Amino acid sequence: MNLDEALDTFVAEAEELLGNMEDALLGMKRGSAAEDAIHAIFRAAHTIKGSAGLFGLDFVVGFTHTAESVLDLVRAGELEMDAAMVELMLEVCDHLGSLISLVRQGDLPDADLQGSASLLTARLQNYLEKNNPPSLPEVEAAGVVSDCWHISLRFGQDVLRYGMDPFSFIRYLGKMGRIVGMHTLTDGIPRLSAMDPESCHLGFEIRFESAADKETIESVFDFVKEDCRIVILAPHSMIEKYRILIEELPEDDMLLGEILVKCGSLTQNELDAALRIQASAPIGEVLVGQGMVRAPVVEAALEKQKQGRDAKAGEVSLIRVDSSKLDRLIDLVGELIIVGSSASLFAQRSGVAELLEITSSMSRMVEEVRDTALSLRMVQIGATFNRFQRVVHDVSRELGKDIRLEIGGAETELDKVVVEKIADPLTHLVRNSMDHGIEPEAARIASGKPACGTLKLNAYHDSGSIVIEVSDDGGGLNREKILKKAIEKGIVAADANLADQEICQLIFEAGFSTADKVSNLSGRGVGMDVVRRNIQDLRGSIELDSVEGQGTTTRIRLPLTLSIIDGCQVAVGKSSYVIPLDMVIECIEFEGGQDEAGQSGYLNLRGEVLPYLRLREYFEVDEAAQKRQNVVVVQYAGRRAGLVVDSLLGELQTVIKPLGRMFGGVKGIGGFTILGSGEVALILDVQRLLQQAEEREQKNSGRNLTIMEESRS
Amino acid sequence: MATILVIDDSTSLRQVVSIALKGAGYSVIEACDGKDALSKLDGTKINLIISDVNMPNMDGITFLKEARKLPTYKFTPVIMLTTEAGEEKKTEGQAAGARAWVVKPFKPEQMLSAVSKLVAP
Repeated sequence: MNLDEALDTFVAEAEELLGNMEDALLGMKRGSAAEDAIHAIFRAAHTIKGSAGLFGLDFVVGFTHTAESVLDLVRAGELEMDAAMVELMLEVCDHLGSLISLVRQGDLPDADLQGSASLLTARLQNYLEKNNPPSLPEVEAAGVVSDCWHISLRFGQDVLRYGMDPFSFIRYLGKMGRIVGMHTLTDGIPRLSAMDPESCHLGFEIRFESAADKETIESVFDFVKEDCRIVILAPHSMIEKYRILIEELPEDDMLLGEILVKCGSLTQNELDAALRIQASAPIGEVLVGQGMVRAPVVEAALEKQKQGRDAKAGEVSLIRVDSSKLDRLIDLVGELIIVGSSASLFAQRSGVAELLEITSSMSRMVEEVRDTALSLRMVQIGATFNRFQRVVHDVSRELGKDIRLEIGGAETELDKVVVEKIADPLTHLVRNSMDHGIEPEAARIASGKPACGTLKLNAYHDSGSIVIEVSDDGGGLNREKILKKAIEKGIVAADANLADQEICQLIFEAGFSTADKVSNLSGRGVGMDVVRRNIQDLRGSIELDSVEGQGTTTRIRLPLTLSIIDGCQVAVGKSSYVIPLDMVIECIEFEGGQDEAGQSGYLNLRGEVLPYLRLREYFEVDEAAQKRQNVVVVQYAGRRAGLVVDSLLGELQTVIKPLGRMFGGVKGIGGFTILGSGEVALILDVQRLLQQAEEREQKNSGRNLTIMEESRS
Repeated sequence: MATILVIDDSTSLRQVVSIALKGAGYSVIEACDGKDALSKLDGTKINLIISDVNMPNMDGITFLKEARKLPTYKFTPVIMLTTEAGEEKKTEGQAAGARAWVVKPFKPEQMLSAVSKLVAP
């Protein structure tokens, strides 16, 4: 652990806090519980400032301080959080975000940022009408001979109960200078029978030689100043001050005087003088006086704090773990699975019953370990979705459209890496929908829609993948316009015969844009193809549904996990293949069709048409086909097809290993895995196989085939 | 060696405070909130407790009250962390017997000097 690592933690923490702050601010805008939100906002600012101070990030502290002061007044009910302040705080939040990213890069703010900081600070200052009490100047005058400080301490009875050890302060004082003389006053200690050993009855008179100023010496006793009588007299203080000291303290005047002389703080003559003045002096001014806080104020404050505490109870406790440690764990679990499956295999071959029993319970445990390890990487997508509240808020202001964001399936979990990588493409889709999808208010009213546009983000699980939907209730895609544009740009041939669905997908082609004017947000024609590429890099796919006049839904489909899956092992000839189990719907016997040549065809699945693909032909396996063949029915993105294989070998846990670069061009294979026997099995890329089956069929038959759409029941 | 229990919900703050304290020769135990901290008061010798006030699950003041009920920790010095904005908290804390306050944001040196007022390494 070093400071750099701690700084990384700080940055991560601050970003999370800023996220919370933003959520809370946007929540307030939508009218959610103000009390909780204000606490969350205040706490974010408060914690960032606290930690930033430790790292010496003065530019963060300074800026946050003003915001925090304003927020504190809001919290105390002295200021009201109105819409204008919410906007201002959102800007503060953004500015803090840029400061934090500077911290990450190890930079200092440039002139631009400093400029915007001082503008924001000035706006915040408007809210502040605090007047700081002016500090009183210290007046010192020449007096007694002694060139040392004199410190007179009377500890309160409760200091021990507060965990304070009187001696520790004296020890600390000793570090700041030299204790020339010290006298311990034990007069306060009652008789043994009456003494409470938990109470402190000690007092000290100290003559102290130091170059430190009064404030520094006073600060030594900061922690006990409420409970103690502390008098600090500067070197050469006036005799008058000593007189007051002697008079104020509870001990017998003569005795105390002698102690002062013993310490060396006063000479005998000075003492005599002091005592002489005392006889005729008026009542001295009070040296140490602590103002009492009015009781009603305290009670109100306590009540407020109690409410704050109740609000905090619902927060989740989290541990931060380096993600490389998780990766390492998952790698190891992968190896464990491979070793475990060879153990099971040999146990089966040996036929020893006990061994079989042990290996089967072991593989069950391994499976649980695998699921738990994988779930560590899973995060809910809700946090990512919530960030879009801000995007929608900002963009709708920019565009002058009134758009509401609805979020569904926020608790759907997916891999952290995927969540991070999905944020950018998602932002693009959201902006696109807002800019091009949702019509201006006038157009909406004209077509009988509510003036306020709705954008929906939804996530759910579907056959081993996670689906993220971005939908709007806007104008939908104009197919003619798209087709015309595509032909114009040479993306498709002029005489191409395309299905509606295919026309929609054209907008994902590079260099495509139908927007008549290029706006600030989207419409430059870079983007949708980049979005598709990003999604494909995650082994996912993207598709688009649009009903003209009613809206557009973009569906992103991503694999649930990236490294370990349940697989269905099949054999074609002598080689093994693995099909991701989540995509397998059922396995049936392949009836007839053996005599037919060709790679693909259709079969009748309980009255439905099911296209199939023969893996033997597809992978050009030379060996002769077996008499009995099987069909594995797979489903992906609502499409179904059958894969014809020789035999079914059962389920297995599969660790996906990527293919080497040399095999990058091989179609239909997504990776490989190592079986228990040590052999290699290829993992089928079902999505690509389905696509290819479709394309091939179209070419072969020359007709426009639509693979049957699964009706979602 | 003196052992210090550091309680704060900010991981980075705990880390920096620990680094500073360890550098000065103290040994450090960390806890992320009052509840967590209470679970660490299991009889272990602790010479000083540094606790934030504003924390989830259990705040610093409730923690202090609970800790004082345990005979082993009845006289353990406690430093409370607060902001200048937290005046009302301070009043509440003082009622609970918290006397040593360090105001956030602080520099590691400030924390060290506060600590050394109460315990030597």
